[in-house]
Amino acid sequence: MKPAAAVPQNSRTGGNKLGTYFRQIWKHRMTYTLLIPGLVWLVLFAYMPMGGLSLAFKDFKANLGIWGSPWVGWENFEYVFRDPAFIDAVWKTLAINVTKLIIQFPFPIMLALLLNELRMSRYKKVMQTVFTFPHFLSWIVVSGIVINVLSHDGLINSALTLFGAQPINFMGSEKLFVPMVIVTDIWKSAGWGAIIYLAAISGIDMDQYESAQIDGATRLQQLFRITLPNILPTITVMFILSVGGLMSSGFDQIFNLMNAATKNAAEVLDVYIYRITFQSATDFSFSSAVSLFRSIINMALLLIADRAAKWMGGDGLFR
Amino acid sequence: MIQKRKFSWMDAIIFVLLTLGALAILIPFWNVVMISFSTQKEYADHPLMIFPSQPTLDNYRQLFEKGGIGTGYLNTLKLLLLGLPLSLFLTTSMAYGLSRTGYPGKKPIFFLVLFTMIFNGGIVPLYLIMKDLNLTGSLWSVVLAGGFSAFNMILMMNYFHTLPESLMESARLDGAGEWKILFSIILPLSAPIVATITLFYGVAIWNGWYDAMIFLRKAEQMPLQNVLRSIIVESQLNTSNAASLDASAGQRFSMGMKMAAVFVTMVPIMCFFPLLQKHFAKGVMTGAIKT
Repeated sequence: MKPAAAVPQNSRTGGNKLGTYFRQIWKHRMTYTLLIPGLVWLVLFAYMPMGGLSLAFKDFKANLGIWGSPWVGWENFEYVFRDPAFIDAVWKTLAINVTKLIIQFPFPIMLALLLNELRMSRYKKVMQTVFTFPHFLSWIVVSGIVINVLSHDGLINSALTLFGAQPINFMGSEKLFVPMVIVTDIWKSAGWGAIIYLAAISGIDMDQYESAQIDGATRLQQLFRITLPNILPTITVMFILSVGGLMSSGFDQIFNLMNAATKNAAEVLDVYIYRITFQSATDFSFSSAVSLFRSIINMALLLIADRAAKWMGGDGLFR
Repeated sequence: MIQKRKFSWMDAIIFVLLTLGALAILIPFWNVVMISFSTQKEYADHPLMIFPSQPTLDNYRQLFEKGGIGTGYLNTLKLLLLGLPLSLFLTTSMAYGLSRTGYPGKKPIFFLVLFTMIFNGGIVPLYLIMKDLNLTGSLWSVVLAGGFSAFNMILMMNYFHTLPESLMESARLDGAGEWKILFSIILPLSAPIVATITLFYGVAIWNGWYDAMIFLRKAEQMPLQNVLRSIIVESQLNTSNAASLDASAGQRFSMGMKMAAVFVTMVPIMCFFPLLQKHFAKGVMTGAIKT
């Protein structure tokens, strides 16, 4: 139902346009009230913190607060980029994530292909349940399990000593930290990651397999000539999206798996931000500068990844 | 139709590989549960045991007596009771509002939501703002910080888009306002998406710990995950020398107690898992963001 279009009384068209605009707003006033609660939250807990990043260009004084502290220009960034620990954290973040990307990325794909080829459908359901379960646990729970399995008296070391080998100090070794992070992440999330590829596989047209079988193609040939090429777009998009996350370093995981012995190997950017903000110096301007740097790099990577995914014919982040 | 084939060597390899993978996941869980039911002595003597010879509940009793697990449970329940209604209210109202069409300003408002997915201020300014609002040290800081997720809102909005517009139109003709339409027409039709979103927020609250660690002060306010963290991770952090790792970690909490704490934190997720699996997978599939 539309209100009867009122015949314009005054002749000034400009005022009239503005009038219709406000009439539109007034007409939908109920709809705006729907948006208000969400908008209040967004302003308070998303946009005010974004504005709070202006601390990066200020000298924070506790008594003046975020908004009252004096501006100092790029001074904080000069300190940030001169801090060797910061440079180190950036490189460590990149190193861990690139290694993760190379080693970890194929696992969900292989798992999806294996699950897809498994003939026993009952068993397949059981397998899928087992593989996805760890995804729903927090990294604190998983860290408890990992510490148990890898500790001095844990499963792996007990098995090693049983075979006469020396026990390995998994949790306390800087060298083993990154491998441990990768293995535990595969353990926790490969099953979950496989879901998206399984969906892509289930979308493949069955006719392709039928005609391949008539032509006498083996299962391996079907796997490499039909299944893989068909899910290649999904693989590409997932890969590009992982590139978009190169600077967000899995804080949740690393923070719960690190300990005093491995803290140097584990100090990725987010751990560094946590340390300088809440543990050592508590210089909020300095940590805001680091946060701003991190957020901007993250945003740039995400936007580039999104463009690239679209360019490759995928859906990207925003369709 | 795909013709039936015989069980080949390839099937055998696939079966073995998948079974090994599944065992790599199941054995650590089994080990955790069994250690939680065994005595300290038995754990020290036979860490590779498959089943404890004298199962005991001692670890659980001690854990609830001195581990603070009970308070942790209570605090997490409080967070769920406060957080779920708030999150659902914020998410549904905004999702329904943004699924309406033809009003000025819709696009910029939607962009405001989307932008939070690619850029955020991080923990430092959020902490200062919580402090300004006098919320640090109160459970509300944790509730509010996790109160809204753009991803969940968009999932819900996409669902609302699929509902027939004629329903709302006829309600409007009957003089119903938008809030009334939302609560008496839309929500009764949206049980699947409400269930999905409730589970999403629920798991996030259950597994959350970072906000609590930053915003809360007192140990007796900490939610379950933080209690578990203090039992497991921090008792390990304190042993600065890696060599003495096991010697001193065992002092306050035995391995049995630690594993009991892990198990206790895991149980609700296990109970809800069939539901979770169903709804989360659906969320991943429909999660592509349409603008």
